[in-house]
Amino acid sequence: MWQRFSLYDLRVIGHYLGVLVLFSTLALLVPLITAVVCGEWQPAKNYLVTIGIALIVGSALRFLRIEPGRLNRQQALAVTGFAWIVLAFVASIPLYLSGHFASYLDALFDGVSGITTTGASIIQDLDHLSYADNMWRFMMHLLGGFGLIVVALSFGLFGKRAGASLYSSEGRSEHVVPNVVQTTQFIAKIGMAFIIVATGICSAICLFIGMEPLRAVLQSLWLSISGFTTGGFAPMSQSVMYYHSFPLELVLMLLMLCGSINFVLHSEIWKGHIAVFFRDLEIRTMVLWLAVMTCVFAASLSASLNFSDLPAMLRRGVFMVISAFSTTGFQNITTNQLTGALSSGAFLVVAILMAVGGSGGSTSGGVKFSRVGIIMKSIIATIKEALAPDSARVVVSYNHVGRRMISPEVVKEAMTVFTLYAVTYVIGSLVGIAHGYEATQAIFESVAMASNGGVSSGLASPGMPASLEVFYIVQMWAGRLEFVTLLALIVEVIVSFKPRRRILPFGKEGAR
Amino acid sequence: MRGVPLSVRGGGCAARGGWPVRVARLVLACALAATCALVPLTAFADDEGENRVNPQQRPDSSFIYDTSIDALGEADAYYDNQTVQVVGEVVGDNIRSGVSGRFRWITLAAVEKDSTSTVSVFMTAEQAAKIDTYGKYGTTGAKLQVRGTFHLVCPEHEGLTDLHADIVSVVEKGRHHEDVFDANELVPGAVLVAVGLALMGVFYFLRERQR
Repeated sequence: MWQRFSLYDLRVIGHYLGVLVLFSTLALLVPLITAVVCGEWQPAKNYLVTIGIALIVGSALRFLRIEPGRLNRQQALAVTGFAWIVLAFVASIPLYLSGHFASYLDALFDGVSGITTTGASIIQDLDHLSYADNMWRFMMHLLGGFGLIVVALSFGLFGKRAGASLYSSEGRSEHVVPNVVQTTQFIAKIGMAFIIVATGICSAICLFIGMEPLRAVLQSLWLSISGFTTGGFAPMSQSVMYYHSFPLELVLMLLMLCGSINFVLHSEIWKGHIAVFFRDLEIRTMVLWLAVMTCVFAASLSASLNFSDLPAMLRRGVFMVISAFSTTGFQNITTNQLTGALSSGAFLVVAILMAVGGSGGSTSGGVKFSRVGIIMKSIIATIKEALAPDSARVVVSYNHVGRRMISPEVVKEAMTVFTLYAVTYVIGSLVGIAHGYEATQAIFESVAMASNGGVSSGLASPGMPASLEVFYIVQMWAGRLEFVTLLALIVEVIVSFKPRRRILPFGKEGAR
Repeated sequence: MRGVPLSVRGGGCAARGGWPVRVARLVLACALAATCALVPLTAFADDEGENRVNPQQRPDSSFIYDTSIDALGEADAYYDNQTVQVVGEVVGDNIRSGVSGRFRWITLAAVEKDSTSTVSVFMTAEQAAKIDTYGKYGTTGAKLQVRGTFHLVCPEHEGLTDLHADIVSVVEKGRHHEDVFDANELVPGAVLVAVGLALMGVFYFLRERQR
């Protein structure tokens, strides 16, 4: 029997969503302060209005249940599922007020893209966007990259003991330390350390290439946030290509790689367990996968007229491979080159890299290496079983922070999520094709949205059909939540609205 | 047809000048006729050798005037290595190319309404020095006209799509738009914040009372 939401559940869920909306006002203070410091009074006005709206909406939602008690698993699932979309609605208010979007739906697209760290953008005239609005775009990446719930838990918003169910409902199950709140704080600390170091290095590079000091520091901070959270927004419309700097691209490549590695493995390196890191199933799958796909990519480029010389292949090819597999979405080639000058094989490789994504428990999207690795191990187990004598018991193990056995539950989870991703990619492609776009571009864009990859083939642009835009928004949302949370939520909402069937006592029914 | 009246007129003239004059006129006429007949022939003979009509000749398209940045943003192989001329607003920064700093990267944005296209322009530091203003928030950059060679996949710059500038001229100077502080504009936001904070206060009051 399906679980239903009771009125009490809805009031509790509303209360906690209100907590998150109120928390977003703290994040909105950052662009407000930026606007005031930089003398950008128009954006300052917009952020003040948005903070006011967030305070009113957040407080109103909290009134639904003044003493909510602890969240159960079902309620936690709903809070996580709705949090991403409710906060995207709030986040898109200042974006729309900036005047850089043709409609509120366009701003919502960028809001969802920012929070889910997809990185696809349909903003207009990005090069004239204020510092404050840019700061907000990257704050969205920061919140979404670490995970809205992770950030909220690390601030203790749900209490010191609450959160295990919330934590796991956001697509995370592994703990760096036993306590969930401490785990989230560790993730935040690791991330901020990477971002601060990268900002320093990138600032030096940007100053060297001739940028003004304030622009150099701010743009370095934004690029570092976007790189580590594998977001993909860039402060300039030409993305990373704008800087014409190989050292900067190198730093960003390292940052993207670090962002796409499981935080649990970061902690292992932090503890000095280097061997554990290199024995890990995810790391081995990543190395193998990247080696194979880079070879295929290079072979495809070599056969074509463009990008076939070594410097071009190394500079543009390697960067695009890392950007795609980490699902960041930075580009150092133009969209026109991606669709026109790149060979169709290389174009497809970029899409496949995005589809698989990075490590589980990292900021990356896509199916994840852990699941691909487990499915491969499961295939090996099946072959071994076929070859083994009837009396033999086949055991296949893998390393992931210690030695683990392949169990049916683990394989089922991996296969379910893998299948859901594949189905979503296909449905998204069909929707794109139904809107009259080229099949290859429709496939590419669908993968970019559902995997939160964000490398765009140009379909997501200002003036795109509203129905396609809404579908892509849902894809980004579903992909970030890895489907299960969202599907469970949708089913529960539908069931809750369905009227209960009255079961009459046998005697009465018989009398009829 | 004209020969008949001429001979008639000639008959008249002979009566006025005698035969030496007639011979002299005949020689002069023959000389003029020969000149008129031979000179064009010679000229045609000279041209024909070098300017024969070639039906295989394609129209000269090595220079595309009035190219838009939008068109370069969607360019196919036809535009590759062509000399183009574009007009656009300078946005962003003056980016140094390499260590020496002799060359610069400038980003030109399309000036057409609703266009989001940009192109990277590679130029000398001297050419870049003509730019007085770079476009950003609150500033419209200088409008440049650039004539140069467009590369869809530039072999010199590791496959970048770029425009190597030959001639750079400033069409319109940039300008700043001051973001003036007006306290009245902040009032709606301040009122909303005050209402939100009041609601929060009421919530905490009710929660404390319940406890």
